[in-house]
Amino acid sequence: MLRKRIPLLICFVFGAFGLAQYYSPHPIVVSGYSTVLDWVQIIFAFTLIVGVLSVFQIHLKKISRREKLWGYSIVTLSAIIVMASAGFLGGTGRGTAFVWMFDNMQVPMQSTVFALLAFFVATAAYRGFRLRNVEAGILLAAAIVIMLGRIPIGALISDYIPAGAEWILTVPSMSAKRAVLIGIGLGSITTALRVILGIERSYLGRG
Amino acid sequence: MEKETLMEIGTFTALVLTLLIFSFLYKENPFYRFAEYLLVGISVGYYLVIICRNTIYPLVIDKLFVQGELLVLVPTALGCLMFVRLKKKWAYLSRLPLALMIGFGAGISIPAMLQARILKQMSASMQSLLTVNGVVILIGVTSTIAYFYFSKRQEGMFGRFTQLGTYFLMVFFGATFGYTVMSRISLLIGRLEFVLRDAFGIIS
Amino acid sequence: MDLTRIDKRIIYLLLLLAVAIPLLTKLELPVNVGPQTEKVFEAIEEIPAGSHIIVSFDIEASSLPEVQPVAEAMIRHTFGRDLRIVGLALFSEGTAIGYNMLSSIAQEFGKEYGEHYIYLGFRPQYVSAILGMGEDINSVFPLDYMNDDWTEYPAFAKVRNYSDISLVLSIADGSLPTYWVEYAGSRYHQKIVTGLTAVMATSYYPYTESGQLVGMVGGLKGAAEYEKLLGYVGGGQRGMLAQSSGHLLIILVVCIANIAAWRKRR
Repeated sequence: MLRKRIPLLICFVFGAFGLAQYYSPHPIVVSGYSTVLDWVQIIFAFTLIVGVLSVFQIHLKKISRREKLWGYSIVTLSAIIVMASAGFLGGTGRGTAFVWMFDNMQVPMQSTVFALLAFFVATAAYRGFRLRNVEAGILLAAAIVIMLGRIPIGALISDYIPAGAEWILTVPSMSAKRAVLIGIGLGSITTALRVILGIERSYLGRG
Repeated sequence: MEKETLMEIGTFTALVLTLLIFSFLYKENPFYRFAEYLLVGISVGYYLVIICRNTIYPLVIDKLFVQGELLVLVPTALGCLMFVRLKKKWAYLSRLPLALMIGFGAGISIPAMLQARILKQMSASMQSLLTVNGVVILIGVTSTIAYFYFSKRQEGMFGRFTQLGTYFLMVFFGATFGYTVMSRISLLIGRLEFVLRDAFGIIS
Repeated sequence: MDLTRIDKRIIYLLLLLAVAIPLLTKLELPVNVGPQTEKVFEAIEEIPAGSHIIVSFDIEASSLPEVQPVAEAMIRHTFGRDLRIVGLALFSEGTAIGYNMLSSIAQEFGKEYGEHYIYLGFRPQYVSAILGMGEDINSVFPLDYMNDDWTEYPAFAKVRNYSDISLVLSIADGSLPTYWVEYAGSRYHQKIVTGLTAVMATSYYPYTESGQLVGMVGGLKGAAEYEKLLGYVGGGQRGMLAQSSGHLLIILVVCIANIAAWRKRR
């Protein structure tokens, strides 16, 4: 009962309500809708804390079992504790240790990880971008026009390059993306209906 | 500690960590791995603080103990049920709050998707059919949708039409690749500007 | 020499030089303003002074170097136009980024917290946050980032929901502007613009072309265009030479690889 039927019933009731409220301006419906929106915020916040605890648990297990690279898990756990203590004890305003660590540790490391991708994109382009057939030719041509058209040098070579890039973006590329959006929209509606009606129940997991 | 000294220590720390991450370009090494695990820890700690101080406090603690809104107990109890996921035996109880979130999310998404993704996009595709671009857009949208229609064999006239859809898709992928290059190089510029300007003062 | 098998470390080094050397020079390239950036600029210009706008920091730290010049230019414009900013974040990392950025630019313009801007902080479930603000912003954000009651500031006390917001500006590196369009735009007819990373730009053209999104400022080039409209040189314009040489290098290596492969086949 508690394992399947009640969750499915809750899903149906709240799903049907979420759908129906869009069409009803009745004050009771609007008030109920606002209340549920607030509830979802709160429940979701707890869900995120579960995620944090789970990371903590994984690294703690790694250390206690002396698994491979367990030493690095000490770094992770220490960093969690230091950062959390700084935020809870010292606050999150300007000039606090919390913001100092965010600005001087988290931001530089995280953005550098993404900056590495510039190098990988360059080598991937060198190795993979081969003119093998018509499709590859179209892909390559579009990429080159965009790469040239979105830098000032493109306009210095010819005014047609930025104009061509703009045309690609607003006409053929846009229409393909629009078709994908429509497709995803139709797929999402179908999935949402299946979830509400209890046909799609993978979120329940096993057991 | 003085503000300038703190800033200098901060810039030095950021420089060292930036170089540790960049060392991955040579090959994976213990210094990079140290930075990687440190990043995970810092991010998780940050996340925990922001959620507790900036979400749980105003939405639960303040509402419950300062405003006295008892109704908050319902989502709080449901939220607390999420913690049982950490114990296998009781994990099934977390399905109750999950069902509420997923069900309600599914319900509210239907009219939004229908309105914003399907109807509005379809009508925008048919608005300027008297122009060359308008016709190209309509052909592009329909042929790409046709390409994803797998209930009919893609051969003959229909096959050629769906082939046209793949060309439109290739233009989209090419444009996206061009923009991806742009994005990644911008990030690299940002990091190099930090190293050359803030850390070493080579550029002004 | 087999040009189809250049060592990847040589390409890394070439890219590093292609980006770093232009940064050492002070050469600036002329920037042409594109239609998307112009639309965003005009949308902000049209808003009467004293109106309220939402600036949502929907970004992560990973893309900050790219988004920062975009965000700074747009926030400078709004403060320069005397608009009142309601800052918030729908990605957790955007919370500290937004708070730092808003406070430092406000200081630059001599703007006061509570009088010209407030910062509400982070809400995790973005769909319900966006929809909730359509009903009552105070219900979604009862307290501001510092956990004070923001409705006590007279300049913001009357802000109830989207009907009191002239524009939403989503500073983004992912799909958040889609949610703003689909939930705030279609249900509450909220005007929305975005400043985002270049990698996401192609995904938003269907929305700008259908009018669901007023316009977008994409990547470092977008930032350079916006800076030009505002009449100052910032991170966007400074980076254009390096951006250009980086693009040219990648085009060059693709051409070399293809020509070498073609010659090898013959």
